[in-house]
Amino acid sequence: MTKKLLMGNEAFAHAALEAGVRVVAGYPGTPSSELVETVAKLHAQGVAEGVHVEWSTNEKAALELLCGASYTGARSLFTCKQMGLNVAADALLSVNYVGVKGGLVLFVCDDPGPISSQTEQDTRRFAAFAKVPVLDPATPDQGFAMMQAAFDLSERYKTPVIVRPTTRIDHASTYFDVADRTQARPVPEEGFEKDPKWIIFPKRSYAAHAEINERLACMADDFGTDPVLSAFNPQFTGGGSHEAAGENAGSADNASADIADAADNNASAGAAAPKVGIVAGGVSAAYAREALAMLEQRAAEQGLELPAYKFMQIGTPYPFPQQLVADFAEGLDAVLVLEELDYVIEEELLRLAGMYHLPLDVYGKLTGSTRDRGENDVDDAAERIARFFDDQVMAGVCQVSWHDPEDGRYVKALSGCLPRRTPYAYEAQEQTPLPVRPPVLCAGCPHRGSFYAVKRALGKRDAVYCGDIGCYTLGNAAPLHTTDTCLCMGAGITMAQGFAVAEPHKKQVAFVGDSTFFASGLTGCANAVYNQHDITVCVLDNATTAMTGSQPHPGTGQTLMGPKTEPISIEAVLQALGFKCIVKANPLNLDESIAAAQQAIDFEGPSAILFQQPCIQLKKPDPALVVDDQTCTGCKQCVTEIGCPAVGFDPDARGPLSKERGQACIDASLCDGCGLCAQICKFGSIKEAAHA
Amino acid sequence: MLNILLAGIGGQGTVLAAKLLAQTALTRGWQVRTAETIGMAQRGGNVTSHVRMGDGGEEVLAPLLAKGTADLVIAFEPGEAARCLEYLSPNGTLVTASTAIQPVTSALSASAYRAQDVVEGIRASLEGGNAKLVVVDDAAIMEQVGNRKALNVVLLACALSQADVPLDLDDLRGAVQACVKPRFVDMNLAAIDVAASAYNG
Repeated sequence: MTKKLLMGNEAFAHAALEAGVRVVAGYPGTPSSELVETVAKLHAQGVAEGVHVEWSTNEKAALELLCGASYTGARSLFTCKQMGLNVAADALLSVNYVGVKGGLVLFVCDDPGPISSQTEQDTRRFAAFAKVPVLDPATPDQGFAMMQAAFDLSERYKTPVIVRPTTRIDHASTYFDVADRTQARPVPEEGFEKDPKWIIFPKRSYAAHAEINERLACMADDFGTDPVLSAFNPQFTGGGSHEAAGENAGSADNASADIADAADNNASAGAAAPKVGIVAGGVSAAYAREALAMLEQRAAEQGLELPAYKFMQIGTPYPFPQQLVADFAEGLDAVLVLEELDYVIEEELLRLAGMYHLPLDVYGKLTGSTRDRGENDVDDAAERIARFFDDQVMAGVCQVSWHDPEDGRYVKALSGCLPRRTPYAYEAQEQTPLPVRPPVLCAGCPHRGSFYAVKRALGKRDAVYCGDIGCYTLGNAAPLHTTDTCLCMGAGITMAQGFAVAEPHKKQVAFVGDSTFFASGLTGCANAVYNQHDITVCVLDNATTAMTGSQPHPGTGQTLMGPKTEPISIEAVLQALGFKCIVKANPLNLDESIAAAQQAIDFEGPSAILFQQPCIQLKKPDPALVVDDQTCTGCKQCVTEIGCPAVGFDPDARGPLSKERGQACIDASLCDGCGLCAQICKFGSIKEAAHA
Repeated sequence: MLNILLAGIGGQGTVLAAKLLAQTALTRGWQVRTAETIGMAQRGGNVTSHVRMGDGGEEVLAPLLAKGTADLVIAFEPGEAARCLEYLSPNGTLVTASTAIQPVTSALSASAYRAQDVVEGIRASLEGGNAKLVVVDDAAIMEQVGNRKALNVVLLACALSQADVPLDLDDLRGAVQACVKPRFVDMNLAAIDVAASAYNG
């Protein structure tokens, strides 16, 4: 074992390898991608023996492949981001009816915010819809334990199991003790055993549905009783006043005592039993615990203490550990739920209160008591908890040993302990507001040239630019403005066809990256040829899956197992699908690209332009260009036409031709030397440094 | 608890800087959690890394800092320093590079974005408090170092030599040796010396 600083996703890869995973497959997507990359790295180093790892063409391909592997008895791991599960949904919902043999774990990352996603969908919800269990970690450490438990759970009940961390778990780093070498668990000797149960027929599904219902009930119990699994639903009590006077500050000692101990303490000290509870899921459980500690400390500074409360994390949200939570809720009058994305736990508590006739008020997203979207954080959790406690004290549900010295009334005392504002805030000077800094295409990004060439080729013609998922979604930004739509993986190509049918007088251009082309662009291309839609597909081939961190794909031929396979030619695929007009261009050569775009756009029927130039992350930068201050006129065209982050404008620069206008400037540390700006400049003022 | 916030622009090396800090915590035997911005914002957008260390043996739970709790804020660009001022604790130290990086949005807009104005704005915003401001002439130091990629290590070195935190330059040197690719170790160690002498010489 070695202690290593690992990002959550890296640690989960180690956890799965230590659990003997034999086959790992997925499709890249932030915040999930590092797991597969870590397995590949460890495999390449020769320390993860016996594992097969791959980036599959898309999520559906990956999950179906893993179903096959699992049927043989191999432990199998699927990875994707939340929307990737939409793509793989068909396989998941069906395989749950068929059942698995080797543990099948789905590592599906949610992205509250959303930080890098189209939706704030909640995989806990998806799990309930698919009727498969889901584990939801509060910290990377807990996620590590969950990954290992998930394989056992999967095999115990022959069910797929979802482990669902969120971005702040995936991309948080901490120290882990990990095995130096791992060995994949071998496929059992009998391997895949032929049996009618592997074939999903309606009659079999009806029977399987009963098995699913039965195992969900068993798992709901296990989540409350099994020593490994119930540890994912930790509880403690805190706050509360002791009868002895002047002991206010001592309540922190209670904070981590478990419920049994706390009950003893309460009995002996005569403290009131908790009437209020905090229930949290995912990273919000970590925020809530920090918020409680912060609130307790701030309150103590004011001679105040928190009311006696119970805390519980729900780490196993589906199937909901009903009995365990019912026991927790016993004696409570009000509960505040802190969770991100959907109100999953909140709804379960409401259901529970109904089923058990509990006199329990449940506060959360549905009551407007917590954020109804985006991320939670410690500051917000502290505020919400303080307000909740204050309201409950004022309603007489619970007590704190504090009264206003003036009139003895309790008025929002806990909320008052939190600072009204942060100690410092930037006071923007009127003449210099802070610039907004949205993500942009990198300096030297070949997509910039592709977008610009298409825009120039279209000229004044009315056109719709259908974008897609990848770095090139950033083509929407000023000054390019070459992305009018972005929906989901591969949608640009098919949406353009809908536009073409409804608005035939406009030109329809679809942009798709090379990885997205293989992941979900092929069906759209086939549809365009089959139904003869007049669209132009621009494949922005940068030889990698850039946005998610440069993963290989079928068009590169590079595999994670080492050997290179024959790259699949996008041109040959389009020819085979029946595209009659396919042109190619280097997007960093402006004239060539405009001519190619012109030809494809003018073609009647489906046409394609292959813009081919590797991503700047894959190559060494060329020498930076410089602006010649003797000839720069300060016309700003290099800035306003292409919007490269390396090309700035210095309002204070002066030259013989620029008068008081200022001049363009190139940040040598950012410039990739692509030369696009030099082709834009009408005055020949942008040059290689040696020629300036 | 030692809370450090790193703020910069995608591609400037905040992720490695956070890793180096985490490594110093490991060597000291402290629990540590870091959180990074990864994904779309990395393409030239503003990014932050949160680093939290249990230097007093505390348990670190949340990966993200609460506002007003950063003992140390290290900004790779003055505009980004201004953006995360609300994280600075009342007695914290703010270390910022002085070179502005102009976003496309500001090159396109009519109003100019000048580093000096932002630095003065920060100075004014801290007025009357106990926080300390350290403005690093990164352009001059990087000129001496000869490799702009070492900006993260230079800023860390400036921060650890100026801020009142229980970590020093030897912690940083150890972390560089443990975390940085072998062929870049010497360059980074030299950069630490240049940065240190800029403040102590």
